[in-house]
Amino acid sequence: MKVIIDGLACEAESGEYLLQIAKRNHINIPTLCHEEALAGLATCRICIVEVMDAKRTEVEGDGQTERSEKRKIVTACVYPVVTEIEVITNSEKLRDMRKAILTLLMARAPESDAIGMLAKEYGVEHNHQWLTKDDEKCILCGLCVAACDKMGTGAIATINRGITRKVSTPFEEPAESCIGCCSCASVCPSGAIPFTDLHRKRTIWNKEFDLVSCSWCGEIIGTKEQLDYVGKRIDPSPDEHRIGLSADAHGNEMLCEHCRAVREASRLKWVRQKSLA
Amino acid sequence: MNGHDVTNIEKILVCCGTCCLANNSMDIVTGLREKIQQAGLPLEVVPMVKATGCSGLCENGPIVRFLPDDLCYYKVKPGDVDEVFEKTVRNNQEIDRLMHREPEQRNRVRTREENSFYKKQLRIALRNTGEIDPFSIQDYMDRGGYSAAESALKMNPEEILAEIECSGLRGRGGAGFPTGRKWRQCAGIGRYPKYIICNGDEGDPGAFMDRCILEGDPHSVIEGMLIGSWAVGSNSGYLYIRNEYGLAVRTMEEAIRQAREKGFLGKNVFGTGYDFDLQIVKGGGAFVCGESTALMASIEGNTGEPRAKYIRSVEKGLWGQPTLLNNVETWANIPEIINRGGKWFSSIGTENSKGTKVFSLVGKVKNNGLVEVPMGITLRELIFEIGGGIIGERRFKAVQTGGPSGGCIPEGLLDMKVDFDSLEAADSMMGSGGMIVMDDRTCMVDTARYYLNFLSEESCGKCVPCREGLRRMLEVLDGISEGKGTEEDLDLLIWLGSMMQEAALCGLGKSAPNPVLSTIKYFREEYLAHIQAKRCPAGICKKLTTFRILGEKCTGCGLCKKNCGALAISGKPRLAHVIDEELCTRCGNCIDVCRFQAVEIG
Repeated sequence: MKVIIDGLACEAESGEYLLQIAKRNHINIPTLCHEEALAGLATCRICIVEVMDAKRTEVEGDGQTERSEKRKIVTACVYPVVTEIEVITNSEKLRDMRKAILTLLMARAPESDAIGMLAKEYGVEHNHQWLTKDDEKCILCGLCVAACDKMGTGAIATINRGITRKVSTPFEEPAESCIGCCSCASVCPSGAIPFTDLHRKRTIWNKEFDLVSCSWCGEIIGTKEQLDYVGKRIDPSPDEHRIGLSADAHGNEMLCEHCRAVREASRLKWVRQKSLA
Repeated sequence: MNGHDVTNIEKILVCCGTCCLANNSMDIVTGLREKIQQAGLPLEVVPMVKATGCSGLCENGPIVRFLPDDLCYYKVKPGDVDEVFEKTVRNNQEIDRLMHREPEQRNRVRTREENSFYKKQLRIALRNTGEIDPFSIQDYMDRGGYSAAESALKMNPEEILAEIECSGLRGRGGAGFPTGRKWRQCAGIGRYPKYIICNGDEGDPGAFMDRCILEGDPHSVIEGMLIGSWAVGSNSGYLYIRNEYGLAVRTMEEAIRQAREKGFLGKNVFGTGYDFDLQIVKGGGAFVCGESTALMASIEGNTGEPRAKYIRSVEKGLWGQPTLLNNVETWANIPEIINRGGKWFSSIGTENSKGTKVFSLVGKVKNNGLVEVPMGITLRELIFEIGGGIIGERRFKAVQTGGPSGGCIPEGLLDMKVDFDSLEAADSMMGSGGMIVMDDRTCMVDTARYYLNFLSEESCGKCVPCREGLRRMLEVLDGISEGKGTEEDLDLLIWLGSMMQEAALCGLGKSAPNPVLSTIKYFREEYLAHIQAKRCPAGICKKLTTFRILGEKCTGCGLCKKNCGALAISGKPRLAHVIDEELCTRCGNCIDVCRFQAVEIG
């Protein structure tokens, strides 16, 4: 089916999300809480667009007034296209609404670069009347929690509700289930989750982890807990039989992705030479 | 005595809704039962004493009704039991002092029908509350209960859908979506299993419509759900009731047990071979869980947070399956529509809002309680005729409808007809039916602040507009009420509010700015008084209020002095009193108790 985005006719499949279609056609819709692998949060509301039912306006026909009244504001990241529609991504009204949202985000997390850049684009200034926590960067988009859930660890969650909501480990104590994988920090759009990798130790969410390095090149691969966890997910057999990712039950070397590729290549080479011989 | 005799009493109905229970109505029931048993009455009919659900006029509870005469006593205390038994039950005499007195009349009225609180009411959803013992399925059946379900199960689902559509019933939970259309959408989806949900997570401050139905007439909800399940093809249903509603949960549990026993729930319902069962889920008391998608998340065991509703829950709801969710009051209407026909229902009400609506009429109104009226009644009728006017003959200022995210409607719109569309046109909403009446001692800035504060605590905090918007709007309103506001603040509130109305994720967020926007629209001068003159005209915002006693009006009665907690008032008897501004805490007791309008807000 056809979807008209900012005047451009785009091909779309029924059920596809608007943002996907726009991206494919190089139409820029700003996002903060959107991440391909963790889609569907729809919390930041920056990706709002105006939608009109193309078909309905044709049928009802008479005039532009009808047309403009049928406009509705939706978030592109979770709006599934099921009928032929016309979409506007950057009208005066939308820019003004995004400006209001960014004003709120700017007041919450003035330190965040991602917010700062968008705010600049939309001409938002920091409202100094409003109380802000100086070092706050978190915009509570929920990507970190979604990432942790997807890992299957569930070490962090949003706690409280309303204006006191925040991301935390259970009872704000070091979480038993945290494996120090840093998935949360790596998806965070505003760099709000602090962690340090120092002296072969990682500290995140008030918990300390031993870092494992590549036996060949010394590059950090991850934490011991993380490699154990991933190993168990890949191969649920009892510990002593498992092809180890970390503890090396079979005396395998722990290699980073790059060195592992090099090793596999050389092994192949060796096998090939053998078979030729 | 006004000379009336009471016909031999057959039934005594004692209201045992939550309000009356709190005033010891259960002691009245047991007291009367004991008396009647002990006395071994030489009467032809031994009266039966029934503990019923809420009878509506909660302000004047506990209420005791005598049938067949419909004689009504109000504010009965357990200590009155002896007198009631001796005079009324044994000797067929009325007790004048326990009867209702109309606000403007001298004499007392005898029956419920004569009481102006009940006169204009039309009870459909509340047809059985206050009439039956909610713990007895037999009582419900004696009044025609389960006959609708029985006949509905013999009908083609299509016929039921047509009947509901014809009735014009719209969802009573707030949004007013046409019930028939919702049912048809759900019925049209061929994925199974389907689920039926009753939303009993009533959380609006000052609203208790659903609680009273669940407590007083649980079977009508069960019957409605049974009919709905047959119409859309579902075999299992959930009743989501907030945990704070302890009595409602107990009544409902017992009702479900009795219905199963009778074969109205469970396997092979009514012997038709069709299965349908219900279970209760207790909500943890989060306001946002009244939002349908958050409610479903909560039933699933997840955090009660809404999701975007671009895919409706009739298509993908609970556990991702087609789900039909309706509010308690909507379900309670269904059996009556099946029994009396959609056409009958649609003959009541206005063009686009059919039937009746239950309102909880509370605030500064004389008759606080639960009323059910036809759609299209005016606010004036509701507040001044049924409600009996404003307490203390003060001036009406506004009525807040639709719960915390509704709006405040000013005096100028009192003759507005109450229905879904007109309330929305007045920047308010029907909501679930809360109606809070405010007098001239209510500050609209403070009111808006109160609701925003409630919502900022009860919002789930998931999306930016609602969470951050509410927080900042609340800060701005705090500033205004402390005299730090500027005129630009009003523009800022409107700017943020109108963005929220469209950009927020769920209905809660979209309607959250309503209290602010509607008060700015209708009471702008009051905001300006706070901003420019640094004065709160209602005398509520403490930093902007001073109280002064007018010497020429003060009679020196000393009532204010007696009621002043801060000991800030001095004066000799029969001489004008004076308030010490240093000591005054601006609580407003003096102005509220003064009978001579001698206290002025400075």
